Amino acid sequence: MNGSFSTRMLRTIAAWVVVAIFFFPIYYWTSVAFKHGNDIFNRPPKLFAFTPTFDNFQKVFGISLGSGGITVTPGGGNFYMAPRVWDSIVIATLSTVLAVAIATLAAYALSRMNFRGRHSFVGWVLSTRMMPPVAVAVPMFFIYKNFGLIDTYTGMVLIHALMNLPLAVLLMKSFFDDIPSEIDESAIVDGASRFMIFRRIVLPMAKGGIAATAVLCFIFSWTEFLFALTLTTTSVKTVPVVSSTFVTSIGTAWGNMAALGAASIIPAFIFILLVQKHLVRGLTMGSLKQ
Amino acid sequence: MRVAQARRFVISDHPLPWLLPLVAILLVFTVYPLIYNIWLSFHEFVPRRRAIEFVGTENWVQLWNDTRFWQSLVITFTYFAIALIFELVLGMAIALLLDSDGFGFGFLRGVLTMTLVIPPAIVGMMYLLMEDPQFGVISYLLQSIGLLNSNNPILATASTALAGVLVAEIWQWTPFMVLIFLAGLRALPPEPYEAAMIDGASAFQIFRRITLPMMSKVIAIAVLVRGIDLFRVFDYVFVMTSGGPGASTYSLSLYAWQQTFSFVKWGYGATLSLVTLVIILVIANLFIRIAKVRW
Repeated sequence: MNGSFSTRMLRTIAAWVVVAIFFFPIYYWTSVAFKHGNDIFNRPPKLFAFTPTFDNFQKVFGISLGSGGITVTPGGGNFYMAPRVWDSIVIATLSTVLAVAIATLAAYALSRMNFRGRHSFVGWVLSTRMMPPVAVAVPMFFIYKNFGLIDTYTGMVLIHALMNLPLAVLLMKSFFDDIPSEIDESAIVDGASRFMIFRRIVLPMAKGGIAATAVLCFIFSWTEFLFALTLTTTSVKTVPVVSSTFVTSIGTAWGNMAALGAASIIPAFIFILLVQKHLVRGLTMGSLKQ
Repeated sequence: MRVAQARRFVISDHPLPWLLPLVAILLVFTVYPLIYNIWLSFHEFVPRRRAIEFVGTENWVQLWNDTRFWQSLVITFTYFAIALIFELVLGMAIALLLDSDGFGFGFLRGVLTMTLVIPPAIVGMMYLLMEDPQFGVISYLLQSIGLLNSNNPILATASTALAGVLVAEIWQWTPFMVLIFLAGLRALPPEPYEAAMIDGASAFQIFRRITLPMMSKVIAIAVLVRGIDLFRVFDYVFVMTSGGPGASTYSLSLYAWQQTFSFVKWGYGATLSLVTLVIILVIANLFIRIAKVRW
């Protein structure tokens, strides 16, 4: 679309303004993370003119910024959240590995093999994506209680893997569909077994797709709230759940909460930029290819 | 000859070992809960005997007569419709705006993806602070231009609470639509546009007659994927309002969750979550049929 110089200029300005409006809450939240309490509770709200502080990060992560650079001292205060971040990382990583492994196997069969009911099988997988988490969480709570899985890594990893499976299966299927099946067939002629073809030929060719699937699974586990809220109590807790509990009798610890929130966005954002090429395909569960 | 043999091998290859882990986990974690929910919906926990007892269709009768259930159904549909309309219209407008190869546009698209990686519960907390009647930046802005009375906090006033939650929802998920629509716009063939230019069509005519019809598949998929999540809304209302004030922001998911975990009405909670599930399945599958979305 080539317009005159002024229309292009106008468009550029409008685009920056719109994106700035969307970026503003993130900026504001990050600024709260660097504010003293009285700056947070100022009226009118202080947007730019405030004295930055590292206090919130020190409380939440034990990180302090002194004359000798950054020092890390693990703390034991009420808002010391490093263990919670670790919980989130463990759960997100392990559930991603599990979901991607199971989904890759299944997606290969769904992409390559002809069998009766294949179409309805894909429909079934898709429909499990429609289950409201509350309809799964309520029964799972009782089952987990019986098996002692409440408040454990195992329980959280399983439920997050399940949650991500429909997405992972459909997404991996779409990546496998992109690889011509003639490659498989010619390898079969050469006497290779199915599994060998899968491992030696198809998997390496689908590397980018696997990475994109893994990143999305990681992010969805990282941001998940309802299961984490329902199926954990004290020893395992994820970042979104503890963030919603920074409310004390003397008010909400906004600064600490913002520090945790701002820090938790960064790794997820870096991950998503790494797979930006496949992002839309991932967000639409493999049905739109970029 | 060998090719024919190979073909036969491909076709006869058994998919079961490949699908088994998936089927096992889906059976355990979705089919079993479904059956359990159905069973539980005919039972109820009786606190004074500390036992789950059979109550027949009591929960279903209660559901039918429960004004709060019907209210939460209306709220969920309202939330669903308003959010979807705003996200679609804003998403399309911003996608058209950002559909350019000009300097900096790639960067702007990257910035927009940021909202998608923030946990919705944290987004809820963000907007809780920004809509705080005293030090919230959004409240301050609305008060200073006279749109908001300082005696009516956004999230504590029945008439505005849902709007306050929707702002967070729409902020976080409009970029989702933008990214999907952008991908769709970039994949459109240039020929129809060239022809329309020659015929002297206006920008609106081009959008209405060419862009929209060619984007219909993309829009349908975006509506389906987002719509499923909208109908299950829980995180925002849980952290921002807990359903209040009164019952003005009770979504079905929140209502079901609270009945189970706050009021120990296990049977009734299961009944409610079952209803939520059925509504989503029916609407989503109808939509897939009508819009001919394919995977």
